Amino acid sequence: MEFSIFVQLLVLGLVRGSMYALMGVGLSLIFGIMGIVNFAHGELFMMGCYLMYFVTRMVGLPFPVGIIASGAGLLIVGIILEKGLISPLRRKAGREWLMDSFVLTIGLMVIFQNLALITFGAIQRGIPNLVTGQMVIREVVFIYDHLVILSLALLTVGLLWYFIKYTSMGKAIRATSQHSEGAQTLGIDVSTMYAIAFGIGAALAGISGALLITLFPANPNAGMGPVLKSFVVVIVGGLGNVKGAVAAGIMVGLLEAFAMFFLAGGWQNVIVTSIVIAVLVFKPAGLFAPAGERP
Amino acid sequence: MSLEIKSITSGYVKEVPVLRDVSVVAREGALTAIIGPNGAGKSTLLKTIYGYLRPSEGDIYHHGESIKGLKPDEMLGQGIAHLIQGHSVFPAMTVEENLELGGWIIKHDREALEMALAEVYERYPILKERRRMVAGALSGGEQRTLEIARLTMTQPRTILIDEPSVGLMPKLVDRIYEEIVNLKEKGFTIVIVDQKVHKAVDVADYIYVLRLGLNSHHGPREKFVGTIEDVIREWI
Amino acid sequence: MSLLGSPQKGMNAFRYLKVAIVVAFLIGAPLYWRDRYITTVFISALMFGIWGVMYDLQIGYAGLYNFGFAGFICAGAYGSALAALHYEVSPWYGLLIGGVASGVLGFFTGLVTLRLRGIYVGLATWFIAEVLRLTISNTPGYTRGMLGLAVKPLPDVLGLDFSRAVLLPYYYLLLLLVIIIFTAASLMVHSKIGLSFKAIREDQLATETLGLSATKYKLINFTTACFFTGLIGAFYAHYIGILTPDATEFGVPRTVEILTVAYVGGRGTLWGSILAGFLLIGFQEYFRELGAWRLVMFGALLITVMIYAPKGLSTVKKYIW
Repeated sequence: MEFSIFVQLLVLGLVRGSMYALMGVGLSLIFGIMGIVNFAHGELFMMGCYLMYFVTRMVGLPFPVGIIASGAGLLIVGIILEKGLISPLRRKAGREWLMDSFVLTIGLMVIFQNLALITFGAIQRGIPNLVTGQMVIREVVFIYDHLVILSLALLTVGLLWYFIKYTSMGKAIRATSQHSEGAQTLGIDVSTMYAIAFGIGAALAGISGALLITLFPANPNAGMGPVLKSFVVVIVGGLGNVKGAVAAGIMVGLLEAFAMFFLAGGWQNVIVTSIVIAVLVFKPAGLFAPAGERP
Repeated sequence: MSLEIKSITSGYVKEVPVLRDVSVVAREGALTAIIGPNGAGKSTLLKTIYGYLRPSEGDIYHHGESIKGLKPDEMLGQGIAHLIQGHSVFPAMTVEENLELGGWIIKHDREALEMALAEVYERYPILKERRRMVAGALSGGEQRTLEIARLTMTQPRTILIDEPSVGLMPKLVDRIYEEIVNLKEKGFTIVIVDQKVHKAVDVADYIYVLRLGLNSHHGPREKFVGTIEDVIREWI
Repeated sequence: MSLLGSPQKGMNAFRYLKVAIVVAFLIGAPLYWRDRYITTVFISALMFGIWGVMYDLQIGYAGLYNFGFAGFICAGAYGSALAALHYEVSPWYGLLIGGVASGVLGFFTGLVTLRLRGIYVGLATWFIAEVLRLTISNTPGYTRGMLGLAVKPLPDVLGLDFSRAVLLPYYYLLLLLVIIIFTAASLMVHSKIGLSFKAIREDQLATETLGLSATKYKLINFTTACFFTGLIGAFYAHYIGILTPDATEFGVPRTVEILTVAYVGGRGTLWGSILAGFLLIGFQEYFRELGAWRLVMFGALLITVMIYAPKGLSTVKKYIW
């Protein structure tokens, strides 16, 4: 293969990988802190796409505003969902909490997808790119759009990392996930922490949708592909393992880009999904977990 | 008096009260121990004081203010801290982060927080040594110390301690009790609940005996010295 | 106590009577109305009902979360359709082939999920179903993929016309299958095997320490439920006449519909799903012009039931029947 094509596939793989990483980090965060497997995550991505389209195309604001709007908008949506539906279920549920919440999110997924279909119709609404132009270094073409997406994704992950590690709210959220009763006795409002954690997970999905609108136009089913891949990423990386999600996201993105080049379109989904089945059978705690760890 | 529990009736399910008409008074600056056989309701009492359970009857006063039904951050605001049973450190966070979180309700006051931290490091040099270590890597006794130190970050007046010796080796139990006595000597009011009757009685200034959810005996430590065996025998 | 289901109620005379009334209704109603539209509603209701029963068999009795349920219907449907298309197999045998195809896939899935717990079983089954669906989509040469696979109706037999001109023969065939499957499931659940299922659902580790092979019973449960699911899936193929591997047919939305039927009917009560099938499908057909709103309502109903009525219809049964 020509070097220039290789590099382009690499960049494309990294771009897709960064999307999966953002989605996977959100999913892992939500699971790690609240124990919820959020099947509706793809729909949160989809809402981010629509918000971005609305802000940049219809209102006409520059794309960074669109991205921030998607993040903020989904943060609010996430908090509302948590306070409105997930909290009540948590209070009523017994041991089956994990599964019941999963089913709840499945219900949400179906609702959101079809509401989007009803409200917006099935047509795809995309934007050609965030920035135009490209640069050529030694016959290798670098499309600015891709580079911008990559750097913004990196920035987002960096900001999240900073938030979780160094801010007091981030520490409180971590504390809640490690020992919620202990956190309570120190005066931390655990239910608020849950709402914020879910909100952040949703915001990550929203930002992901906004960033990648040039590759994945807004449409009601925009979330379906990404959510399957995100679950793959999260399982390979280990449920709850945020760093693993980033690494696995990039791996999956690269794998996809190269697979799409060599095989016909639909097969890369089959391959990626089959790999995760194998991971589930042989290393259910994820590729990055220490040996012998059970999920 | 520091903490007054007046005629509390409380339980997990409304129709089945675990405590009936229980009253306890914790004197300021003293160590009050609540002892009793299994199922007597000791933990229930602490949970009721601390707000996890709401009493169906009776009231609870802290320095004259009613604290019935307050949320944890309000309790801390009123100066009552609570050490729960078992481990409660945040295992994947450092000692220093754990301590900082202890000051959660005063986090906006950077100065106060730093002063409190400095005081804790002075009082507990071992924690200063291990400040950057991840809490989960500390030994059992050190973790307990961390938990106790963490509680003092907001300078509470009263500390409720639920079964401090659970899960610790005998040697460490002594050490923990030493630290608890130290706290008392620094002026904190302590209410302790423990299964290890002898230890609790040894350090207490005042003792309440609970049995089957009712007040049984109570009195200053002197009253119980030597007769504690008889008291225990009554439970069997 | 309620987790283990009601105490073993024997079949006394009163219960026989109730069952007889229900069966009589199911037999007589379509004949009485003789309306094509009503017959399609009854067929849909029964199909979703029995699929709900199979879902319940897995989740309500053995605690196995099968989020790839639609994939097993897909295996049955395509198994029979492809056998008829490529190998000239009579659709009557096709029904069996569909069941076997799905049963084999179920067995394989059971093996894959053996060491997994809870949510991972759900995710694994979902992945397997997606792999199947996507593979069918990617091999149009063999399966006609998204172009659609036309499926022949069942050949006429016993003088009955299965050409889909009149749908009653399909309905009664389905009813017969449903009665057989439901009886088999009931017997299984009330037998020692059923007890093992419940034990696994409650506490897999304890079950194993007692010497019960959780593996064996998980596999029995999965394979059997999938076999029956595929059987009805094959029926579905020949009844509906066209198959496409898209998500609303054999993907998550379909699984959600069946999940809703099982949850509304009450997990751990087999009959509940049949009743829920009639309620929900009847309700849906009534509002059939609503298109995408149908799924919105299913989703909302699922969530509402989850939060406010986790036992589904079985809470109401006491007062009515």
